[in-house]
Amino acid sequence: MSNRLFEIASAIALVSVAVVSALAQSQSKSAAPSAALFAKEGAGKAAASRTPEGVPDLSGFYTTSTTVPFERPKDLGAKEFFTPEEAAAYAKRSLAAKAPTGPGTYADVHYDMAQFGLEKDQNKVSTSIRTSIVTGPEGRVPPVLPAARQRQAAKQAVNRGHEFDGPENRGLAEQCIYWNGAPPMTAGGYNSNIQISQGKGYVAITSEMIHETRIIPTDNSAHLPATVKMMIGDGRGHWDGDTLVIDTTNFSDRSSFRGSDENLHVVERLSRADAGTLKYEFTVTDPTVWEKSWSGEMPIAKIDGPLFEYACTEGNYGMRNNLSGARADEAKGIKPNGRAALGE
Amino acid sequence: MAISAAAQAPYRAPRTADGKPDLNGIWQTTTTANWDIQAHGAAAGPVFSLAADFAVPPGPGIVEGNEIPYLPAMLDKRKQNLANRFKDDPEIKCYLPGVPRATYMPYPFQIIQGQKNILISYEYANAVRNVDMGKPGPAPVDSWMGWSIGHWEGETLVIDVTGLNDKTWFDRSGNFHSDALHVTERYTMRGPDVMMYEATIEDPKTFSRAWKVSVPLYRHVEKNAQLLEFKCVEFAEELLYGGLRKKGTGPNAVK
Repeated sequence: MSNRLFEIASAIALVSVAVVSALAQSQSKSAAPSAALFAKEGAGKAAASRTPEGVPDLSGFYTTSTTVPFERPKDLGAKEFFTPEEAAAYAKRSLAAKAPTGPGTYADVHYDMAQFGLEKDQNKVSTSIRTSIVTGPEGRVPPVLPAARQRQAAKQAVNRGHEFDGPENRGLAEQCIYWNGAPPMTAGGYNSNIQISQGKGYVAITSEMIHETRIIPTDNSAHLPATVKMMIGDGRGHWDGDTLVIDTTNFSDRSSFRGSDENLHVVERLSRADAGTLKYEFTVTDPTVWEKSWSGEMPIAKIDGPLFEYACTEGNYGMRNNLSGARADEAKGIKPNGRAALGE
Repeated sequence: MAISAAAQAPYRAPRTADGKPDLNGIWQTTTTANWDIQAHGAAAGPVFSLAADFAVPPGPGIVEGNEIPYLPAMLDKRKQNLANRFKDDPEIKCYLPGVPRATYMPYPFQIIQGQKNILISYEYANAVRNVDMGKPGPAPVDSWMGWSIGHWEGETLVIDVTGLNDKTWFDRSGNFHSDALHVTERYTMRGPDVMMYEATIEDPKTFSRAWKVSVPLYRHVEKNAQLLEFKCVEFAEELLYGGLRKKGTGPNAVK
């Protein structure tokens, strides 16, 4: 049984909490990709409806789930855009792809995603003619600098052999401390629902997963002193015409995004593409991790909502079971590495 | 006489662009209700080595009439909760605080007021409530923070909160409720930087009649006021899982 499988099984508690929510969401959603999204980017830009304060009204419920892969599949080479026909076929294949259900797979040891409405084709997703979220000729995240790779390896080495010692040796998600509330906003494995709220001078973006909220003042005010670090960062925004621009710094090095550390700087641009879609663009810079900045772009699809309460630590039986399982293994003289827990 | 009449007239709050009282802002109570919603004297904290730092601050209480009308059969549970508060209080475990407690915890919260929805984001534990200003129907499922439906009554934002589970408390003293809890909240500005908060508590499984708490909330007027990250889950891990730790290992220093 692979380590990957065990990691997935470890997250059972987290998944279970989300099931009610995902089920409820899936019932109200159409699975069909919107044909409008295959239109050439920039075309058909809808006039944004406005808040009483006169800024574009982006409020509502959305999902960051998309059929567009984060990085471009290698076989597509330098091809940045599909034709609308190719895009439709790719989206169809992507939605049809199911996790394997044979012996020893996720579905076998845990549950069938479809049973709980967690498959992509049971939920609203966005589609695009883009072949990857990451833009540019490569369509891939640049390589991590050697010094950064060494730092990351050293960090991982500290925990090696101690993965089951105590709660803090488990991952941040399993601890219910952090999921993916920090920018750039990307889809998780399931439940990528968000809500955007707007009040005078502020935009708030709430993730359903472990209920993290980014509160962004739109006065372009100065960031916090560098000594204050936050896992979701410190976001400051302003309106550039009809586009909300959010500049986020002050990241903690614990909520790493694809290898980023505390020098991460993310600039996002959020605007309305059409009545059911937001256009989302982002640029990621971390000079101590990547030699150059890189950017991404994806559509974000509207959903019916509401968000449900993802109370996480309140129902974290997975943590308790992992640690007590490991202690039981030790009592039997077995090194706790997860195999016994899965019946091997 | 004219002056006195004017002083008694209800305060008219500045309006948002759509003409509603503007409640946008970062708010916090200065009461000590989170320790005990009833009148209470000062007391030593639970850890003597922490001396004065974590002592219980006194307070006159926020319950109208100071009496909480528990049904007689509920009084034992209240006593047990008080005795076990250092392991059973949802706050000590960093659990979501419920309503109305979230409002008078010693942490700020922010109101982001839209037309269709009002988001209330609490610094404590990333707790959040989406107040639907439409007609979303009944709560689909019970939750820690409940199902909030709002409407305006003149100067007042009224929020009807149902769908609350039976796992949250009113304070650190073990005042509790059942899943029949129904909270009606009223938020009314009484000056540019002060808002009155009233919550009517109904729970026929726990109380013999409805009762009310009332708390002033003050605006954070600091130029740099903002909600910061207070992810307390990791502060509570030793309490929750310390007994399951590998022998001879200790909690890492909190980073």
